Amino acid sequence: MKQRSWSDVALTVWSVAVFLFLFAPIVVIILSSFNTGRLLVSWGGFGFDAFLAIVERPVIRDAVWVSIQTGAIAALLATLLGTLAGIAMARHPGKWALWFIGLLLLVSVTPEIVDAVALLPWLVLLGQDAGLSIFNDGIVRLVVGHSLFSIAVVSYIVRARLVGLDAQLEEASADLYAKPFTTFRRVTLPLAMPAVLAGFLLSFTLSLDNTVIAAFVQVSGTTPWPVYVLSALRSGLRPEIAAVSTIMLVLTLVALGLVALVLRRAGDSATQIARTMTGS
Amino acid sequence: MSENRPHVRILASTSAAKIISSELSRRRFLSFAAAAGATGLLAACSPGGATGTAPRATGGELESDLSIYTWGDYDAPDVLAAFTDELGPKITLDSFGSNEELISKLVAAKGTSGYDIVVPTGVFIPQMIENGLLSELNLDLIPNLEYMDPAFLGRAWDPQNAYSICKAWGTTGFVYDKTVITRELTTWADFLDAAQNEASGRMSVLDDPGDLTGAYFWANGIDWNTTDEDELAAAEDFLVNTLAPNIAAFDSYPGGSAIPQGTHVLMQSWNGDSRLGILESPDPDRWQWVFPGPETEIWMDNWAIAAGAPNPEAAHAFINYVLEPENSLAELDYIGYHTGATGIEQAAADAGLPMLDLVFFTPEQIDTMREGEVNEAQQRRVDIWNKTKAAAGA
Amino acid sequence: MRSFRMPRFALAIPAWAWLLVFFVAPVAMVVWFSFGYKPGIFGTHANDVLSFDRYLEALSPTFFQTFTNTLWIGIAGTAICLVVGLPVAYWMAVKAPPSRRGLLLALVMVPFWTNFLVRTIGWQVILAPEGWLSTALQSVGIIGGPLDLLYTRGAVLLGVVYNYLPLMILPLFVAFDRVGDPLREASKDLGAGKARTFVRITLPLARPGVIAGVLLVFIPLMGDYITATVLGGAKGNMVGQLVASQFQTAQNWALGSAMAVLLILVIMLTVAIGGLLVWLVTLPFRLQNRLVLGEPEPAASVAPRSQEVAA
Repeated sequence: MKQRSWSDVALTVWSVAVFLFLFAPIVVIILSSFNTGRLLVSWGGFGFDAFLAIVERPVIRDAVWVSIQTGAIAALLATLLGTLAGIAMARHPGKWALWFIGLLLLVSVTPEIVDAVALLPWLVLLGQDAGLSIFNDGIVRLVVGHSLFSIAVVSYIVRARLVGLDAQLEEASADLYAKPFTTFRRVTLPLAMPAVLAGFLLSFTLSLDNTVIAAFVQVSGTTPWPVYVLSALRSGLRPEIAAVSTIMLVLTLVALGLVALVLRRAGDSATQIARTMTGS
Repeated sequence: MSENRPHVRILASTSAAKIISSELSRRRFLSFAAAAGATGLLAACSPGGATGTAPRATGGELESDLSIYTWGDYDAPDVLAAFTDELGPKITLDSFGSNEELISKLVAAKGTSGYDIVVPTGVFIPQMIENGLLSELNLDLIPNLEYMDPAFLGRAWDPQNAYSICKAWGTTGFVYDKTVITRELTTWADFLDAAQNEASGRMSVLDDPGDLTGAYFWANGIDWNTTDEDELAAAEDFLVNTLAPNIAAFDSYPGGSAIPQGTHVLMQSWNGDSRLGILESPDPDRWQWVFPGPETEIWMDNWAIAAGAPNPEAAHAFINYVLEPENSLAELDYIGYHTGATGIEQAAADAGLPMLDLVFFTPEQIDTMREGEVNEAQQRRVDIWNKTKAAAGA
Repeated sequence: MRSFRMPRFALAIPAWAWLLVFFVAPVAMVVWFSFGYKPGIFGTHANDVLSFDRYLEALSPTFFQTFTNTLWIGIAGTAICLVVGLPVAYWMAVKAPPSRRGLLLALVMVPFWTNFLVRTIGWQVILAPEGWLSTALQSVGIIGGPLDLLYTRGAVLLGVVYNYLPLMILPLFVAFDRVGDPLREASKDLGAGKARTFVRITLPLARPGVIAGVLLVFIPLMGDYITATVLGGAKGNMVGQLVASQFQTAQNWALGSAMAVLLILVIMLTVAIGGLLVWLVTLPFRLQNRLVLGEPEPAASVAPRSQEVAA
C-alpha cells in the first residue's frame, strides 16, 4: 500500500465534508417528517402523524400528482422536440444552425422569472382574447412553461452526442438503400439514445423543481407541488410537507437505482451517463 | 497528437455499433415512450382549469372541487375537512400576502385564475367590483347570513352585501421578545424606536404596502390615508433611509415560523397571527403582544366570489357552511380573529379559548382603530414599499 | 440521407415553432411593454406613449442597488461554488476508486431530487437562532450568543451555494474524467510535480467543464430569488424579486418588463465580459502550452466530415 500524500488526504476530507454539507438539510427534513407538532420548524414529538395526514388530505397528493404528470409530459415533449432539433443540428448543419443555436442560447440565458412574467399575459391572451381555450387548462400552461429551458438542454445534449460520433454508420445505411426514415429509426436514433434518455431525465427533474414559472402561470386546481410548498411557506410549513419530501426521496432513490440498472445493462457506465447529461 | 484522430474515430464507431446492435434498448425505449405518451393523452383529456365566465349560482348540484385564494393560514383545517366530508367538494387552498398580490393575480389571469372564493379586505372591494374581478353573490343560497352581527354587514364599501360577506376583522400591532427588549413598548413610535435600537437587524415588518407606510403615519399622528405629497415624501424618506437598514425581513406571517423559531425580536404583525405564533412558541412567556397607540388599523376581510369562478355552487355552499355558528367559532379558535358572528365573544369565552385579549377588543380600543382607503396615494404607497425593500436589501 | 428532399433544418422545425410561439413572442411582448407606462391604479400597462422612462426608473439609485447586489451575489456565489466544487469533482474523477464513481455521482444528484424549497427550509431549521446548530455551537463555546446567521448576506450565499453546487460539480467531474490518467502520468514522467501537473495539464484541459459549470450556476442564480428570500429575508432582495413584485403586487407591468429586460442584458454582459477576461488572462498560458502539447481538437476533426455527409 502506497503512503497517501497529505494532499490526497486533504482532498478526501474536503470531499466528505462537502457531501455532508449536501445532505445536512435533507437529513433535517427526513427527521422533521416524524414531527408531531403543528409546524415543521418546532419539534413537538416523534410520531407518524404527518404520514397519516397525507393519506387523509387529498390536496397534497393532488399537488404531487400534478407535478409528476406535468413533469412527464413536459419532459416527453422537450425530449421529442429537442432530439429532432439536436439531430438536425448535428447532421445537417448550415447557416440556419447558427441562428438556431443563437435562439437556444437566448432561451438559456433568460432567467425563469422573465419567462414567467412573459408567459402569463401571453397565455391569457391566447386563452381568453384569442379564444384558444386549451390555454386555460392548468396542465397545458405548466407544460408550456416547463418545456422551454428543457428543449434547449435536450438539443445541446443530443447535438453534442451526435457530433462526437461519426456519421459513417448513417452513410453505410444509406448506401445499403435503406430509406431515410429507416436509417433515422434504426441508426441515428439508437446512436443518440443515451443522450435522449439523459435529456428526458434532466427535463423531468427540472420540471419537478420549477417553482417560479409555475407560480405565475398555474391555474388553481392544478397546483403543482413546488407552488403548494411556496404557498404553505406563508402560513407556516407543516410536517406533512417534510413527510411528502421523504416519500418522494425514497421513490426517487428507487427510480434512480432502476435507471442505473437499466443503463448499466445497456452498456453505459455512470460516468458516461454524466457525460451525456452535461453534453460533453 | 494527429495520430490520435483515427483512433478516436474507431472508438466512436465501435461504441455506436454496440448500441445499435442492442435492439433491446430500442424496444425498451419504444415501450417506455408509448406508456409515457398514454399518460400525456389521458392528462390532455381530463378536464381541468377554468372555462370562461361561469353562470351565476342557482342552487344546483355542487361541483366536485372548490378553490380558495386567501390569506396564509386563514381557515381552520378541521372546518375545511368537515365541509369536504359533508358536502363533497374537494378544497384547494392558495395564499397571498397582500391585497395587491390578490388583485394582480386576478387582473393578470382575466378570469382564468381558477379561483372560486377570494378574500379581499373591504376597502379594496369597490375597485375590484368596478374592474369586474368579482361576481355577484346569490344571497338566497346563503341563509346562514342571519347569524351575522348586523354591525359587520352593509359596510360602506358594499352596502347591500351584494358581493361580499365579512369573514373576519382584526387589527395591526406588533410582538416583541421581552428577554431582548426589556423596556415596555406601547406605541408605534416605540416600535420604530426599538427597531432602530435594540431590535436593529432583527426585526420584521409586514409585507404589505399599507401597513408598512401605516407604521410611520400612526407613529407620527398623521392620517394613514393621507394623499398629501409632503407627508408621503417624509414617510418615504424615513422608511427608505432610516428604517430600511434595520429590517431583517418582510414577513406577513411571523406567527408561522418567526415567533416559534425565535428568529426576530420585534415583528409587526396582525393580532390573530401573533396569537397563533405565541401559542405555538415553546416559550410563550417570552413574547409580548402590543396593541399600539395612539392609532392603528382596523381591517375587515370578506368572503367574495371571483369572476369566472369555475365552481360557483360549491363556493356559495362553502360560504354558507362557514357562517354556521359552530363553524364560525371553530374558525375563530384557529385563526384568532373575530368572525363577526352574533354573540361569538360570549361563545368563545364559554368554550374557554386561550388568549382572547388578542381576539376581542374593548370599545375604547376600537375607537383608536382607523380603516384604510384605496385612494390616489395607493400607487405611491406601493412605490414606497418597493423602494424600502430594495433599500433593505442593500 | 442524400435523398432527403426536405430542407436541412426540417427536423428542427417543431422546436423552432414551439420556441417562436412560447418564447420569442411572449418575450417580445415583454420588451414591448417595457417602453410603455402604467396608466392607473388598476391598469397594468399602456403603450400609447413610448419612451425609455421605465429603464431610467429601473436604474434609479434604489433599484440600481438591487442590481449590483444581485450581481455581487451571483458572482460571489458562482466563485464559491467553483472553489468548493472543484476539489470534490477532481477527487471524484481522479482519486476515488473507479467502482465508486457511479455511486458518488448519484449522491451529488440526489439532493436535486428533493424540492429546492424544502431543502432551503431544511437550512432555515438548521440555522435558526433556537435551532440545534446554534445550541450545539453555544454549548461547545464557539459562539457566545444565539447563532446570528439567518437573514444575513452570509445565509444568502450559503443558500445559493448549496442549491447550485451540484450543477458545478457535475460538468467539472466529466471534464476531469476526460483528461484521463495517461496525460497526467506523462507529465509526471517528464519531471513535473503534482501541482505543476494540475495547473499546466489537468486544469487547462478541464477548461470546458469549468466554463460549463460556471454558466450553469451563474445564469439560473441571477434569476433566482426564492432561495435568497427564504434564508436572507430582506437581505436576499434580488432583481428577480423586484420583477416579480412589479407584476405580482405593484401591477406595474411596464416597469417590471424594463427590469426583466435589464436583467437579461446584465447576465449577457457579465458572461461576455467574464469570457473576455478569462480569454485574455489565459492567453499567454495557452500560447505556451500550445508549443509543448498542442490542443486536442476532436470536435473540429469531426465537424467537416459530417458536413460532407450532409452535402
